[in-house]
Amino acid sequence: MFIKDLACISPQLTFEGAFFEQDAIIHKGSQYWAVEPSYAGTIPNGLLRRMGKSVRLATGAAMPLLTKWSVDGIIIGTTDGGMEDCHRFLNQIIEYNEGTLTPTGFVQGSPSAVAGGLALMAKNSGYNNTHANKGLSFENGLMDAWLLLQEGAAKSLLVGNVEEISPAQYRIETLAGFIKKNEVTADVLFNSATAGAVNGEGAAMFVLDQVPENAIAELVDWDMISFPTYEELTAKAYALLAKNGLTVSDVDAVMLGYSGDANSDDWYGEFTTRLFQNTATIAFKNLFGESPSASAFACWYAAHLLSGKQAHAMSVIRPAKSALRTVLIYNHYQGKQHGFVLMRSV
Amino acid sequence: MTRVVVTGMGVISAIGNNLEQNHQNLRAGQTGIRTAKHLDSAFADTFLFGEVSYSNPELRDRLLFESKSGLTRTELLAIMAFDEALSRSGITPEQVSALDTAFISATTVGGMVETEAIHGGANTNKLPSEFVNSYRSGSHTLSIAQLYGIKGYTDTINTACSSSANAIMLGARLIKSGRAKRAIVGGVDSLAKYTVNGFNALQIFSDEMTSPFDEARKGLNLGEGAAYLVLEREEDAHGKSIFGEVSGYGNANDAYHPSSMSPDAVGVRGAINGALHTAGLHPEAISHINAHGTGTQNNDYTELLGFTKIFDKIPPYISTKPYTGHTLAASGAIEAVYSLLSIFNNEIYPSLNFKTPIAGFNSSPQTVYMQNVAVNHVLSNSFGFGGNCSSLIFSKV
Amino acid sequence: MEETALKAKLKEQIIQYLNLLDIKPESIADEEPLFGETLGLDSIDALELSVLMEREYGIKITDPAEGRKILYDVNSMAAHILANKPTA
Repeated sequence: MFIKDLACISPQLTFEGAFFEQDAIIHKGSQYWAVEPSYAGTIPNGLLRRMGKSVRLATGAAMPLLTKWSVDGIIIGTTDGGMEDCHRFLNQIIEYNEGTLTPTGFVQGSPSAVAGGLALMAKNSGYNNTHANKGLSFENGLMDAWLLLQEGAAKSLLVGNVEEISPAQYRIETLAGFIKKNEVTADVLFNSATAGAVNGEGAAMFVLDQVPENAIAELVDWDMISFPTYEELTAKAYALLAKNGLTVSDVDAVMLGYSGDANSDDWYGEFTTRLFQNTATIAFKNLFGESPSASAFACWYAAHLLSGKQAHAMSVIRPAKSALRTVLIYNHYQGKQHGFVLMRSV
Repeated sequence: MTRVVVTGMGVISAIGNNLEQNHQNLRAGQTGIRTAKHLDSAFADTFLFGEVSYSNPELRDRLLFESKSGLTRTELLAIMAFDEALSRSGITPEQVSALDTAFISATTVGGMVETEAIHGGANTNKLPSEFVNSYRSGSHTLSIAQLYGIKGYTDTINTACSSSANAIMLGARLIKSGRAKRAIVGGVDSLAKYTVNGFNALQIFSDEMTSPFDEARKGLNLGEGAAYLVLEREEDAHGKSIFGEVSGYGNANDAYHPSSMSPDAVGVRGAINGALHTAGLHPEAISHINAHGTGTQNNDYTELLGFTKIFDKIPPYISTKPYTGHTLAASGAIEAVYSLLSIFNNEIYPSLNFKTPIAGFNSSPQTVYMQNVAVNHVLSNSFGFGGNCSSLIFSKV
Repeated sequence: MEETALKAKLKEQIIQYLNLLDIKPESIADEEPLFGETLGLDSIDALELSVLMEREYGIKITDPAEGRKILYDVNSMAAHILANKPTA
């Protein structure tokens, strides 16, 4: 499966910005807000007015791709879509004691509003699906897309993720210890030794097909496991490589989902120690923050690195000795769901 | 290419707490829609609902697990149906934990059923409720994966009312591709203040029993429930009781409006034709249709329009939503179970509350129970918000 | 409330409830059909406007056919409010 085109709105200048040409934005604190473009020309006001942030981010990233490429379907991975819209509607229920309520928050807050909204705007009547599976939502989307392509049911697809920082959800997660309570800057995030990750948001969109010509990078394979032991985890990674005729030494770099959460970052340490002690190691969450489908941002970043761009110094944990041809992404969400994406240059 | 067959089914709904009870009530034409007893909402007395008879404490009592706190009603219902499907299929615990066993579930409300807990957590500085891990759609899937030691592909689909149909479709495709040997697929939704208010705000409730495909239909009754199917490769199912085959599936998008369907039934036709195409069947081969049939003005008109454009002679069609209510994400899976019961037992259940055909169509659903009738291929439709239209075809093996 | 002031207030409220970006109250004509070509409102907006009527003016719209007439334009909305809640 090949990436023909891609777009990303994120806490960095990744959308028509100079992300690879200038220094990365060093975020402070535990909310990495997305740098949003102007949507004039991309999203008509009549539709923009109703959009919650998730729908807006996803639409902003996807519409230029959908306008340029003809795709046979749209697949989105998102934990909850418009969480803030959900909370807004929930608050109405409580505030007005289940009286007469406005429906927009309910309709727009549903995770499937993103993929549905994109189909509507792009007038795409093909396959449409939404994976709302927390930390594996993006890997689920990749599997779904690949199945369609190899069945011959589609020639090209739009696959992507979206997550928003919902202030209401942020409060819940901070109280529960999933989001960092103390303020840390992104450049020292991984040394923070405190519990909790930082909350990121954005949307990464990819046009995928099975034609290698003019591709930006290849999505070779992917896999996942829930609640593994260290042994089960490393066995999975090993099997994924072996299935594709590769060994550990064929991997030029691993991209790992270090999040700054002292409670769960040791997964990455163990993983490196057991399999990849000498391999180049790149992080991505001090740039993009943590969110359930954050592996989509890793994929976007890796695709660019595989096509020759340079990684930001801040994200390099162990530098690569040569150009990257094969990258293995390993990411987990709250230590429970673990996903792998294997990518290669074209 | 391998055929995907159904070796186990589990279901819990307003018409029964297991497969046998559901089956009996379908045969008897006995609805489960009534005044809600457990739903905590101001609307519990205004509208009728398809509520599962067990309260949350009663559901918890029936679980065989030690740790039961933090499980929402959504999770409890899912576990009931999931467990029944597993035990009927005869797959072993080792097979459940095998790396080539997939679990694909679906829900719309998920943990939002705990309205007050979420509101409290979000708006005050109260310590997180016991449900803090259960809020998201994917939470129940993760809970079940943890409880049953599932290590393979897991997924949660949320495409509103077509969710579990899409889950079933994905499971079948995974098996056909060789990426999984077996898949437990289905979905769940529980009655929640959140969805009750959402649908009320859209003004699509009927204040009476829902009457799908009737000219005087006023809207839907909300329901809850869960259903799971165990899908396996035909070659692995020797010696097992097979309910039927997942022979066709199609998904298409209406691309018309966030919450209503296109007047040309674009999505409906795309989904049905897609299913016929993958099944390699002509429309005449379809013995029976389990329609989406929500009882709303918009859906039933559009769905029937779709039928007239595809079928020269529409086969006997019913909606089972007058039995269970509209169970949202669970509807695709619950109706899949009912479609397979039809096939396995060669019978067609009566569509309830129908009197007058929709103006402009000379068509009525099947209102009388039929038995000893050859039911070879059943089409089951599920259409969701966001224009998401899905159709499944089940066939006799 | 007197009629001109009511219509001006209604326009602000319509913009607020429907989050009509970049539209100024003065650009909505009193007699412009709300569900016509220019503003392009749809069925979900109709529901939102019903909520506006209830929350701001205590008027419940129960019959969709009646609702279409009341919500036709700002004139009809104002007229209905004044007829049913003279002290608004």
